Amino acid sequence: MGSRIAAMGQIPQRANVKRYTRQRKSELGMLLLASGITILAFLLASLGINSALPSNLIIVLVAMVALPLVVHIANLFLAPYADPALMPIVALLNGLGYVMIARLDPQEALLQGVWATLGVIAYISTLIIVNRSEILDRYRFLLALSGLLLLVLPLAPGIGQNINGARLWIRLGPVSFQPVEIAKLNLAIFFASYFIEKRDVLGAMGSRLSLRESLNIRILGPIATAWIASLLVMTLERDVGFSLMLFLVFIITIWMATSRIRYLFGGSILFVLGALGASNLFTQVNVRVTIWIDPWKYAQGIGYQIVQAQYALAAGGISGTGLGRGHPTIIPVVTSDFIFAAIGEEMGLLGTSAIVMAFLLIVGIGIRAALRAKSPFGSLIAAIFTMIIGLQSFFIMGGIVRLLPLTGVTLPFVAYGGSSLISNYILISILMRISDEGNRPDELENELKSRRSLLSRRAKTA
Amino acid sequence: MERRIRLLGIFLMVLFLGLFVQLNRIQFLDASSLANAPGNSRNITTQFSQNRGAILTADGAVVADTVKSTDVYKYQRQYPNGPLYADISGYDSILYGKDGIEAYYNSYLTPHSVTPNSLSSLLNPTTAPDNVTLTISSKLQSVAASALGKLRGAVIAIDPSTGAILAMYSNPSYNPNLLSSHSGTTETKAWNSYIKDPSQPMLARAYRRRYPPGSTFKIVTSSAVYDHNPSLAVKSYPHVSSIALPDTTNRLHNYAYEVCGGQIGILLAVSCDTGFGQIGLDLGASSLASEAKSFGFNQTPPLDLYGVASATFPSAASFSTRLPTLAYSAIGQYDVAATPLEMALATAGIANHGVIMAPHLMSEITGPQANVVKKYQNHPWLVATSAATAAKVTSLMEGVVRFGTAGGIAIPGVAIAAKTGTAQLNLLASNQSSPNGNDNWMVAFAPANHPTIAVAVVVPAQPGMSSNSTGAQYAGPVVKAMLSAAVNTSSVVGG
Repeated sequence: MGSRIAAMGQIPQRANVKRYTRQRKSELGMLLLASGITILAFLLASLGINSALPSNLIIVLVAMVALPLVVHIANLFLAPYADPALMPIVALLNGLGYVMIARLDPQEALLQGVWATLGVIAYISTLIIVNRSEILDRYRFLLALSGLLLLVLPLAPGIGQNINGARLWIRLGPVSFQPVEIAKLNLAIFFASYFIEKRDVLGAMGSRLSLRESLNIRILGPIATAWIASLLVMTLERDVGFSLMLFLVFIITIWMATSRIRYLFGGSILFVLGALGASNLFTQVNVRVTIWIDPWKYAQGIGYQIVQAQYALAAGGISGTGLGRGHPTIIPVVTSDFIFAAIGEEMGLLGTSAIVMAFLLIVGIGIRAALRAKSPFGSLIAAIFTMIIGLQSFFIMGGIVRLLPLTGVTLPFVAYGGSSLISNYILISILMRISDEGNRPDELENELKSRRSLLSRRAKTA
Repeated sequence: MERRIRLLGIFLMVLFLGLFVQLNRIQFLDASSLANAPGNSRNITTQFSQNRGAILTADGAVVADTVKSTDVYKYQRQYPNGPLYADISGYDSILYGKDGIEAYYNSYLTPHSVTPNSLSSLLNPTTAPDNVTLTISSKLQSVAASALGKLRGAVIAIDPSTGAILAMYSNPSYNPNLLSSHSGTTETKAWNSYIKDPSQPMLARAYRRRYPPGSTFKIVTSSAVYDHNPSLAVKSYPHVSSIALPDTTNRLHNYAYEVCGGQIGILLAVSCDTGFGQIGLDLGASSLASEAKSFGFNQTPPLDLYGVASATFPSAASFSTRLPTLAYSAIGQYDVAATPLEMALATAGIANHGVIMAPHLMSEITGPQANVVKKYQNHPWLVATSAATAAKVTSLMEGVVRFGTAGGIAIPGVAIAAKTGTAQLNLLASNQSSPNGNDNWMVAFAPANHPTIAVAVVVPAQPGMSSNSTGAQYAGPVVKAMLSAAVNTSSVVGG
């Protein structure tokens, strides 16, 4: 112990580290802007419904300013060089989502507020724990194991429960949680790490990979695992959305790491086969495809929700009915699966476009972080996490506007749901970490490296 | 890997582009066709999710108002005294539309934009409905309902000097709360049961149903005498039980073969059919038809409700080929038919010196800040007759109460003018009585010298009615109840 303190004393002073970076300066302004928009929307929505302000106004307003500020201060110390626009966009999405939920269901809004706070805590904790992206690489087997455990947790009798036909939830006392939301991150990290490591081996096989070689157990094994895991989710937990998510993450990870396009095609074929099988085996999947093809035919039955969502979007028109002025509650379970339709009704095409644009910006920032990442692993993780958030938001928004069949995934940061919020905050936190590493000036990077090696050498000798 | 990361970015961008395109299609290009799609109930939802204005009686009783509801419509229309005011208020039904005041003053009752009057309302432009205050007196309306009791029939009371409807009730009534329910099953069940009910609870008898007015029409015939041939007023008609009719062997009989005759005063008092039949023939078709027209027959009263029926009197020309019917028309039978509203208006015309004021239910419409948006301006509808004639007919009608068929409604200390009516439904065999009785009428106004109320009551033939029913017997007590309540009210107000 004594020697360690002595060693710390020998570390050169960080004279050249600028804490209040350019990134953080612009972040503060944008965060305050997001808070302002959120607060304005909240006031308008409250006036729109009751022509009165809610009783918990002060608490809500304080939280709407305090949470982004806490995030900002944490970034200042933990990720000073990370992208400045990412957290303001997240704050805006989370804020507008909260406003919409508060307008639709004040009870759920209360919980959503708690979940958002927990999400920010999860964000900061992740930034602290994952102080370098390599840490994720190092603990990949632990992450994979816990991921698989989380995946099968809802199947456990007693704590698992069915909601809307999908067995994706666990219930511990009053709190429901969707472990697959966290599991997808763990498994994505594992696969990224695994394929980055195997990349050299695969690369050594040359560009003309023969069929026999590509059926190598090293490649086939993980793909089979992914396929089985996805089918497990689909068949046992009856959720086509996450199943699709997981499998796409796996095959795109392999493709990104190996640049073998055949994995993309092969994987897609496997998935389509699985999906066709599921569609025949499970009515829930079949129903979703049926109402995607022609919802109008089933407008009073199985297609009611999606048809009402179309009417809600149309009722919104270009500028919307105004917050609190529409009738989004006509749509069943509007706060979780269909919050995008509620936004479309009350904020119009302008509102929905803003939401789509926000996700597009997150995708852009994520892609940039992936391109600037210091290590191939960080690059791959950033790309995959970007894909997860991009695809997930596309699946649900696209499902609501009938570009593809409805999948029961939630709109990140906007929809009601604790597990989704926490998992997305963790995801964003890791993106911020990789972006921070990528933007770090080289001299600082070298200095940090030398400090780390010094520390580890001292620790070994001690 | 850099190339593949870029490819991933482009792939995601293409997906989001698809979202943009589809959103523009739904929210812009197809928005109006989706909004008007046949299965889209959103317009209805919006319409029924409004805080509709209240309908109040003149004395502040709530006829209809809106309360918050927890269902998708946010607001629920309610009628605290549903059946009592149903013919006036109407209903506001998702499935069956609107009726009554709800329909007529819908544009006021529906929330509309309000001029901002404060900073908060400027920042948050609001819409608010107007409230409609009726001319109806809740007291008279209740008296009308309780006086009719279980009898089918209609009561209407008008302030002769303004045309304000003071009470309008038809029995049996219906419950507008059931039709305005947000539950489709409740609405359909109520509607179907009302439609199938032989007693026709949804028929607003007071203004939508014509009955032969019988002898109450004699006030119009009497006016015609003074207006067109005053010499007939001093002519003494023979005491007979029946008269011969031109061009036919059929005779016109008095009710129950009574014998009556004399001058117009006694003829009206005892409601002498032979006398008035002969007066009709003496007056001639054109005089009687033009008098009926000036009293409002064959014209729709400008009441502020939809579906007001007009009273009918045959054209003068039509009598040329069937002259005998002129005698019957003079006593309010055969092709003569009138709504209770029309008979009340004719009575009110006599009461108001010959001028029939336009009937109306709306007294004033007030905005959200209790500001008056619209106030009903009283105005004449028709000049039925001269003031002199009206005065003469009034004194004849007073005789009906003092020594005639309406003696039963006399109230000590109040001069009442009235006329009974008993329309026999099987005319061509007038010696036989109908199995379900007659259409029994009475019209009256009081006080005769300075009238504050004119009433018309009809109790039509119905199962369980005595076969030799009369207006005095069935309509009389209702008229008396209305007049005593009104006169007491006005004396309290005056005192």
